[in-house]
Amino acid sequence: MHPRFDLVNIAMVYLLAVVIIALRYPGGPAVAASMLCVAAFDFLFVPPRGTFSVNDVQYLLTFAIMLAVALIISRLVRSVHRQAEAQASLAIEAETERIRSALLASISHDLRTPLAVMSGASSSLAESGERLSASDRQALAKSIFDQARDMSEHVAKILQMTRLETGAIKVDRDWAALNEIVGSVLARLSERLAEHRVILELPDDLPLVRVDATLIEQALANLLENCAKHTPRGTVVRVRAQQREREIIVTVEDYSGGLSDGELEHVFAKFHHGRVEGSGTDVGLGLAICRAIVRLHGGQAWGERVPAGGTALHFTLPLEDAPSVPLEPTSA
Amino acid sequence: MTDPRPTLLVVEDEPEIRRFLRAAFGVEGYRVVESTAGRRGAIDAGTHQPDLAIIDLGLPDVDGIDVIRRIRKWSPMPIIVLSARLQEQSKIEALDAGADDYVTKPFGVNELLARVRAALRHTVRTGSGTLILRFGDAIVDLEKRTAHRGAEKVHLTPIEFRLLTSLAAHLGMVVVHRQLLTEVWGPTHASDTHYLRIYMKQLRDKLEIDPLRPRYLLTETGIGYRLVTEDH
Repeated sequence: MHPRFDLVNIAMVYLLAVVIIALRYPGGPAVAASMLCVAAFDFLFVPPRGTFSVNDVQYLLTFAIMLAVALIISRLVRSVHRQAEAQASLAIEAETERIRSALLASISHDLRTPLAVMSGASSSLAESGERLSASDRQALAKSIFDQARDMSEHVAKILQMTRLETGAIKVDRDWAALNEIVGSVLARLSERLAEHRVILELPDDLPLVRVDATLIEQALANLLENCAKHTPRGTVVRVRAQQREREIIVTVEDYSGGLSDGELEHVFAKFHHGRVEGSGTDVGLGLAICRAIVRLHGGQAWGERVPAGGTALHFTLPLEDAPSVPLEPTSA
Repeated sequence: MTDPRPTLLVVEDEPEIRRFLRAAFGVEGYRVVESTAGRRGAIDAGTHQPDLAIIDLGLPDVDGIDVIRRIRKWSPMPIIVLSARLQEQSKIEALDAGADDYVTKPFGVNELLARVRAALRHTVRTGSGTLILRFGDAIVDLEKRTAHRGAEKVHLTPIEFRLLTSLAAHLGMVVVHRQLLTEVWGPTHASDTHYLRIYMKQLRDKLEIDPLRPRYLLTETGIGYRLVTEDH
């Protein structure tokens, strides 16, 4: 290199190396690299070559500059890193704060209505129970029961979301059959879905999944609840599961308008509250829980519009190789 | 002690819950003994000799599971636990400790009454044994090992019969995965849950009218299975 390039340019090449190393590994490694570069430059190029001695004092300046550059860049890079970290932790803090306030808003907003209904209905029963007809009494009692049940579901959701957010949930995986999970979700929501026609499309040979069945049941229940709340009575809800390469995709689909395009984008975002008139408001929470659960299992959850009008909510679950089950001899 | 009504022991610290249980069971003709804490409950179980105990898992003094263990040391009385949702692990622990069934809070009275009836019937039946199961259009004779749907014969494999027998021994009550696996496949397969998934599907396909919406072979997600029949 030396005969064709000026010493200054060679020094620049070494300087570049120092800069790159300092950018990548600020601190100790950068200083070490600059020392090494100075030594190598001195040994290989600075006359007298092949020794570490220096003829011209001005090369000392070159060495000093190399070292200074390494130190300055290290420092710059470090402070940039520190700022980025500070910003990230600020963002996390802001997110936690947002969740906390969303939870509070959710508690105060969504629990107030059922509480009002319950206290109104129960005070009617307590104060003028004898003067009410039997059917009125029953209707009041029933509405107290319904509201209480909804409220306790909602409180369970809030609790669950807090646990999911703080990582307090342990995923207890075991082999589970999606058809069973679907079956028990439908049983659990039978009352709420009584006015809907639920069509199931579950292939007979759907492989088993290794999941926390309790959590997945909850994720699916939240999707179906969303349908029950947002679609008119008598409409169709379709639950479908398909194998797609190394995953199973589960879809809950309705065909009755449901969410608008704009809302769909946010449908799974944390605590987005659907703005469909007369609907419950804990939908955002339900879907956020669904997404958090699915992600814990290494899957994804998203929503899209159905071309015919309506909403499809999907989630995927990764497939693992299921262990074999010994077959029985099939003698009659 | 000459009271002919069945006696239930309720171990629950929340007075409001005790109050509505007392009302609901009173209407159904049960005598209710109440304990407000775990230690007291274990003692009351000894002094009152109830026909069945209902134990809340979240008690102030000792763990509900501990109360179950204490009672189980000397009595086979049916025990039903009350537990919060999403506490599958504590439900399984309670069942392992000797509880016969559980009801998840918040529960409707009908659900609890059904569990109580199933558990009491189980005590009466133990020994005599119901060996003919009717569900939907299917009839299974566990003794003769035959199964029919309407007039048509249905072939059940030996394992499927064993599985049904295990479930039928606790008719109307939950049976945890581990117990079913141990009883049907043996202790070395106690955690091979996937066996159950496959065989329960086969059973449902053969016996349920709509296998995807089972009415008799029910899944208790994360816990086990429950067999309920028509006359249940």
